[in-house]
Amino acid sequence: MSNFLANRRRFLAAGAGGVLAPLLPAGLLHAQPNQGKTLTVVLPSNPITIDPINQLNHDAMVLGQTVFENLVEYDADGVLKPQLAKALPTVSADKKTYTFDLREDVTFQNGKKMTAEDVKYSFDYLLDAGNKAARRSLFTRISKVTVLDPYKVAFELSEPYGPWLYFLTKYMGIFPAGSRQEHGDDYFKSRPAGVGTGFGVFETWKPNDYISFTKNKTYWRKGLPHWDRLVVKMIPEDATRVAYLLTNQVDIISAPPPREFNRLKTMPGITGASRPTLGGALLMYTNTLKPPLDDVNFRKAVSCAIDRKTIGEKVYYGLLDPSAVPAPPRGWWFNADADKELAFDLDRAKAFLAKSKYPNGAEIDLSIQAEPYLLDTKDAAIFVQAQLAKIGVKVNLKVYEFSVLIQQAIRGEHQMALQVFMSPGEASYIIQVCLTPGQVLSKSTGYDNAELNGLLAQAFAETEQARLKDLYGKIQMVVARDAPLGVLGYVHASNLWRQGVQDFKVNQGLTMSVGEVRV
Amino acid sequence: MFRLLAGRFFASLGTLFFVGLVLFALTRAGPGSPARIVLGADATSQQITQFEHANGLDRPFLEQYAAWLFDVLRGDFGKSFVTGRDVAGEIAGALPVTLSVVLLAFVIAIVVGIGIGSLAALRPGGPFASVTRLGVVLGLSIPAFWLGIVLIRFIAVELRWLPPGGYVPPSSGLIAHLQTIAMPAVSLAVYYIAVLARMTQASLQDALRGDYVRTARAMGLSSPRIVFYALLNALPPVINLAALSFGYMFGWALIIEQVFNIPGLSRALLNAISQRDFLLLQGIVFLFTAIFVLANLGADLVNRVLDPRQRSSA
Repeated sequence: MSNFLANRRRFLAAGAGGVLAPLLPAGLLHAQPNQGKTLTVVLPSNPITIDPINQLNHDAMVLGQTVFENLVEYDADGVLKPQLAKALPTVSADKKTYTFDLREDVTFQNGKKMTAEDVKYSFDYLLDAGNKAARRSLFTRISKVTVLDPYKVAFELSEPYGPWLYFLTKYMGIFPAGSRQEHGDDYFKSRPAGVGTGFGVFETWKPNDYISFTKNKTYWRKGLPHWDRLVVKMIPEDATRVAYLLTNQVDIISAPPPREFNRLKTMPGITGASRPTLGGALLMYTNTLKPPLDDVNFRKAVSCAIDRKTIGEKVYYGLLDPSAVPAPPRGWWFNADADKELAFDLDRAKAFLAKSKYPNGAEIDLSIQAEPYLLDTKDAAIFVQAQLAKIGVKVNLKVYEFSVLIQQAIRGEHQMALQVFMSPGEASYIIQVCLTPGQVLSKSTGYDNAELNGLLAQAFAETEQARLKDLYGKIQMVVARDAPLGVLGYVHASNLWRQGVQDFKVNQGLTMSVGEVRV
Repeated sequence: MFRLLAGRFFASLGTLFFVGLVLFALTRAGPGSPARIVLGADATSQQITQFEHANGLDRPFLEQYAAWLFDVLRGDFGKSFVTGRDVAGEIAGALPVTLSVVLLAFVIAIVVGIGIGSLAALRPGGPFASVTRLGVVLGLSIPAFWLGIVLIRFIAVELRWLPPGGYVPPSSGLIAHLQTIAMPAVSLAVYYIAVLARMTQASLQDALRGDYVRTARAMGLSSPRIVFYALLNALPPVINLAALSFGYMFGWALIIEQVFNIPGLSRALLNAISQRDFLLLQGIVFLFTAIFVLANLGADLVNRVLDPRQRSSA
């Protein structure tokens, strides 16, 4: 018994010690990770790959873009610039051959010089169906890659298709010839050390915690990066992500909670900014093959009944730019006349409904996503429900997980579905994916229109912006006429960072750009 | 004792197999495919089919289950087809993290819960018992995630006493380790402190009303000694409850790890659910089940040690 008592006392003493030990002075807190020249940034979700040809999540693309680079870069301002190429490509008269002159001062992180052979190898690997690259379908119009000399490479397309250059930054990267066979795909997915030309060299991946990179000391852009180490942490909980920033544990966070953003960015020691994305749209997939959305006047009534300005200002605190067409209001290709045709006007909404097959209103299911992504679509859905009730349309809200909701939209099993759709920010992407046949989200709208398809083909063959603006303007007029896809607006990308962080710019493409940041 | 252990061992194995089967059925029956997560929203049907075939997801259900069970029995939990990482390795990396939080929470719950409950039982109508009653109601009512957020707000952000989250392993310094798990453990423990305090109070009060206590007092035994004997007799139901609580704590850690950004098993489990990472999901839930079963087995054994009547009935 005395042993039992002694053990019990020892046990209690140890327990009490365990409880009290943490309550030591703050000076004994563990070393802050953002001291010195380490840049620590935070993502709201857990990435599954670093491999540039299998990128999915736009926040997590910061990982791939740290290690890998491309011939051209679609930058934070939405400008196409040369990266590993000396200049933008020369395009043949038939718009089917793109020729790039490569920089001669680029080396991979393993010390090997980058040449045209590496570019050819990378694209050949991406395009080989056997390698199952998730983003291969975006580049299948590339029929042949030819090495013209060690620093010159030509791409032949099966048909004119200008948008492919804009997809490179998000969905492609250049890696050394033979590296896939040497290391295997898992290496590129989870530990791609030495196989990129980017400013950061992969260091370690601690699952569910962080991924770190060290400075590429032989980076071809001399003087960059300004940090010695980059740590990308994953913190899904909004409040915790913000607490990490407020306690100086991290330097930059992405996806700050919209409700708190304006208050947080004015707090002492914190800086914040947001800018509209060119490709992040709050879409309402309207299934035109299912009643009552099979009636164009009904679809227009729905569109005109939604007050997007109030949603942008009051529901999303200014972090959504209202738009009724698949084009961002601040994009060069936005057509204000088309937008006006589908914009909020309750009287027009009632008039359209009266002309439709359902003059007395109808009942619709609206599928929404359970987990917020950039914005919580549930907030907008409740507002839409209230607005449509004003014209006699009853909306039943159905909440689904992302993977279930997207499956519904892909199979066309929904009536209406609300989702933030993030794209590279290129003018044709959302139109291609949702409004032309044979695409992954074709059934989300069930729309197929020869006139729109023809205009899109003309746009693919065009490189001059003024002419493209005219073509995309016409495409938006077709969309305004037929209302096959509900659009509520374009989301803003926003970040918060500590005041010690310099030269950080919010990316219109959402993914944090950290190569030029100073700590 | 051997017969008891053998019987319990086989019953536990049966439970594990059954849970494994149910789990397998539930993960496969749910909507959403891991292929969609890995290949993205705009993957083609052909890509999805190829992926499912390559990973055996198109095989008949029972065939998949049998293959999985066979591998698990050999200690191979498979390789995640979402992340490509070894499931056993991922679990082995995350388990110590969750265990450290749960164990500290468990110790806090046991020490504080039984301590408060015992003190309250000694003076049933006194002010301490009244305060305990109120504290118990509060402890049962406060959601752990809310308490966690409040602690982060005041202890980490306002007072800067502790880090707002994350995890430092003991190998990097015991104090830093305890600082990272203190708030999560307290958030996790509060509910169980309340539960154990209430059970201890009720059980000890009952024991103190026993005939043997009256006899002991008549024989002139000291009060602390009488309370000690009464407490020993009052402990079996508390231990049963504590064992159940230990198992449940792993479930609640799911939320706590998310709030405090702790890279433990629960965080891995949540990611596995959202990414439809079947093998990782099955591996973790299988482990949780095993912990729950073992905790109950442990409680039975401790009760037998404490209570001679149970030993004689074995």
